[in-house]
Amino acid sequence: MAMTQQELVDMLSSLTLFADLTRPQLEQVAHKMTEESFPVGQRILRQGFTGTGFYVILDGEVAVRIDGRDVARLAKGDFFGEMSILLGEPPVADIVTTRQLNVLHLGGPELEGFLRDHPTVMFRMLKALAMRLRNASR
Amino acid sequence: MAVAELAERPFPPGDYPVVVVGSGPGGLQTSYFLKRLGIEHAVISADPAPGGMFRRFPFFQRLLSWTKPYAPVAREDRWYQWYDWNSLLADEPEARAIMPTLMDGTSSFPSRPEMEANLAAFVERAGLTVRYDCRWESTRRDDERFVLATSDGEYRCQTAIFAVGVAEPYLPDTPGFDLVSHYVETRPAETYAGKRLFIVGKENSGFELATGLLQWAQRIVLASPRPAKLSVNTHSLLGVRARYVLPFEDQNLGGGVFILNASIERIERAAGGGFRIHCIRSENGAELSVEADEVIAATGFKCPLLDLPDLGVAVFGRSGLPAMTNYYESATVPGIYFAGTIGQGVSGMKKYGLPANSGAVHGARYNARTMVYHVARTHFGIELPRPEVKPDALVDLLLSEATRAPELWNQKSYLARAFSLDAGAGIRDEGVVPLAQFVDEEGPAGVAIAVETDDLGDIHPAVYVRETGRPAVETLLASNPLHDFRSVENRAQLSSLLAGATAGVVR
Amino acid sequence: MALTTQDKAAALAGVPLFAGISAESMERLAAVAGEQEFAPGQFIVRQGQVGTGLYVILSGSVKVLRGSDVVARLSKGEFFGELSVIDQQPRNASVEAAESATVLALASWDLLALLESDPKLSLNMIKGLVMRVRQAGEKLGH
Repeated sequence: MAMTQQELVDMLSSLTLFADLTRPQLEQVAHKMTEESFPVGQRILRQGFTGTGFYVILDGEVAVRIDGRDVARLAKGDFFGEMSILLGEPPVADIVTTRQLNVLHLGGPELEGFLRDHPTVMFRMLKALAMRLRNASR
Repeated sequence: MAVAELAERPFPPGDYPVVVVGSGPGGLQTSYFLKRLGIEHAVISADPAPGGMFRRFPFFQRLLSWTKPYAPVAREDRWYQWYDWNSLLADEPEARAIMPTLMDGTSSFPSRPEMEANLAAFVERAGLTVRYDCRWESTRRDDERFVLATSDGEYRCQTAIFAVGVAEPYLPDTPGFDLVSHYVETRPAETYAGKRLFIVGKENSGFELATGLLQWAQRIVLASPRPAKLSVNTHSLLGVRARYVLPFEDQNLGGGVFILNASIERIERAAGGGFRIHCIRSENGAELSVEADEVIAATGFKCPLLDLPDLGVAVFGRSGLPAMTNYYESATVPGIYFAGTIGQGVSGMKKYGLPANSGAVHGARYNARTMVYHVARTHFGIELPRPEVKPDALVDLLLSEATRAPELWNQKSYLARAFSLDAGAGIRDEGVVPLAQFVDEEGPAGVAIAVETDDLGDIHPAVYVRETGRPAVETLLASNPLHDFRSVENRAQLSSLLAGATAGVVR
Repeated sequence: MALTTQDKAAALAGVPLFAGISAESMERLAAVAGEQEFAPGQFIVRQGQVGTGLYVILSGSVKVLRGSDVVARLSKGEFFGELSVIDQQPRNASVEAAESATVLALASWDLLALLESDPKLSLNMIKGLVMRVRQAGEKLGH
C-alpha cells in the first residue's frame, strides 16, 4: 500500500498550489520535498519556536490555534509555514493535527530557492496570501 | 523440561506478552531492553542468523557510519557512543562498544562483515535469544491479541514490535522494470566484468554500485531525472557520500562513465540479449536510447509490512512507512510498535529541514530504548527510576548533558534530557525523552535540553521550559567553538530561566 | 515636474518591493509607471472599485480607510493596491492622501507580466503580503 511515484505525482497535480506545473516539474517537486506523517494531536508549527519548515497537506486536517483558541482549519491542498520562513520570525500560532496528517515538507532554508525555481507555485502562493489578507481585514 | 524440548529452537509458537519480529539492529536492541526490564518476549526472524540488512548490504565499500578506534574518551564510557555509531547499547561492559574491537584499524568505517560480526557478538555477549528461520507471513486480530502466522506456526501477543527494516525492493511502475534486477540482487563484482551496465538511480545505492563496479564494467551509465545531491555540497551527511563519487572523476576523464539527468520511459529487451533503455533527458526533453548488457534498478526500498495495513495500520509515502506516534506505536492500531530503521517515519521537529538519524543504527538504538520504556510503562506498569536532583545541581547537569550526551548529539532536535519540576516531588530526572513529545504534551512542569543546529550550521543547546498545563517555551543558548556549552553566559541565562520554575520546588 | 524614466527608475529602486529585481524588469517598470500627484484629502483609490493597478508612494503620506476607519498610514517607499492586481477583486479599502502625495501608478497587466518573469519581484511581493497578513490578522497569521 505504499504510494507509487505515479500516484504521488497524480495527487500533487490535483493541488491548487501546483496546478500550473507540468508533469516533469511535478516530479521535481516530489523529489525536493519529503513525505511526512503525523498522528492526531501533534503540533507541527509551534508558537515561538525557531526552525520552521514549509508544509503542503496531502491528506488530513490541522487546526490553526492561537493561545489555545482554534481560529481556522486547513486540509488537503493547503500549505503553511511559509509566513514564518519568509518573515524570518517564529510562528505566532500553533498548527495542530486534528486528523492523521500526511504532508510534503520542505526545509525553511530551501523555500526561497524553491519558489524561484517554480514561479507558478510562487504566484499561486501570492494569490492564496492575497485571499488571507482580504479575509483578515474584513 | 524434557531433554528433547531443550534441544528445540527457542520461542516455539504460542502465547507471549510481546513478540519482536526481526533480528537486525532494531530487533536486537529492542530485545535487549525488554530483557533488561524483565519483560517476557519472543524474538522471531526469517533470517538464519543475526545482522538484518548488514548480512547483505552494502555490497561494496565500507559502511557510511563511523566508529573511531581512537577517540578522546574511553570506550567503557557512555560518552564513547558519540564516536561509535555502530555498536548497540548495553549496560554490561562486555556487551558495550563491541564494534571497535572487531575493526582492524585501517579505517574508521567498518566493513559489512565487521558490522555483521558486531551484531552477532552482541547477541552472544548480551545473552539474547532469537528463533531464526521463522518467517512472519500474516497477521490477524483475535479478541485482545494479535496473532502472527509464521512458517513455524502462530504466535499470539498483546504487543507486537516489528523491526523488519526498509529493504524490500521498490521498482517504479514504468514499463520494463519487471525485466531488470534491483539493487538487492547485485552479484559479486567479478560477474560484471566487461559488461555494459546501466544503473537507474543516483542516490547512495546507485553510486555505491557504480563505484564498486568501476573497474569491472566496460561502461557504466547512471541515470535518474534529477542531478545527484552530494554530501560535500549539502555540507552534511545528506546526499551521496564523498566516498562514492569516484564515477564523477571517470566521467570527467572520459573513462566510460556517463552520468545522465534523464527519466526512464521504458526498458525493453534488445535483440541478441541485453537491454535497450529509452530515456527522456531532463535538460531538454530530448529522447535518448541506450544499450546495456545489464540494468540494475537502484530505485529505493519499501517497508515490508505485509498485511498490517489490512489490520488498520496506516502507512504513508512511497516507502510505505507506518504512521507512528512519538513512541513508535502505530498511530492507528494501538499495541503495534516499530523499531530499527522504520523509526525514520517519526520526523520529530526537523528544524530547518534537518532530519534526525533515526534511519541509522546510532539514532535507532536510542529510539528503541525510548519505545521499550514506553511499552514497559504503558502495558506492563513498569516505572523506571526517576532519581531526585538537587536544585543547585540542575543547571550544571543540563549544560553537562548538552555538552556530552551522545543521545543528544546523535539525535539533534529530536531527543532531549528532561527533568520534571513538581513542587511536591522535587526535581526528578526523567531521562532521555522524545523532544516533540516533551514540548507538546500538556504535562507537569519540567525542563528539557537538546542540542540543535541552525541553518548556518551553528550547533548550540536549546532549552524548553514547561509550566504545568502549558506548552513548552523555547530558549536558545550560546554555542561554543569547542562545543563546551558550560559557559558562564549559559549558566547565567539558564539559571535565570529556571529561577521561576524551580522556586516552588525546593523541598 | 514630470519625472524622466531614469528618475522613475531611481525612485523605484529605493522601494523595498523592487529591491534586487533585474535591470530589465526595472527598465520596463520605469517605462510604464505613471506619475500622479494628489492634494490632501483627495482619494487615490476607493473601496469597492475595480482595481487597475498598484501604487508606490514617492513622497508624502496616505491614509488607508475601511469605511470611515483609518486602518493604516503609509508613506514614502511603501505600496498599496497590490491585492486587486493579484486577485482582480474590487478594492477592499479606500486610500486618501493625508498630505500632498506623489505616487507612481503601475497598471495590473504590466505588473502581472513582470511577476511572472521576475521571481525576485514575486518574492518581494510575497514577503510584503506576509508582513501585512501578520499585522492585519494575528488571528490568521502564522
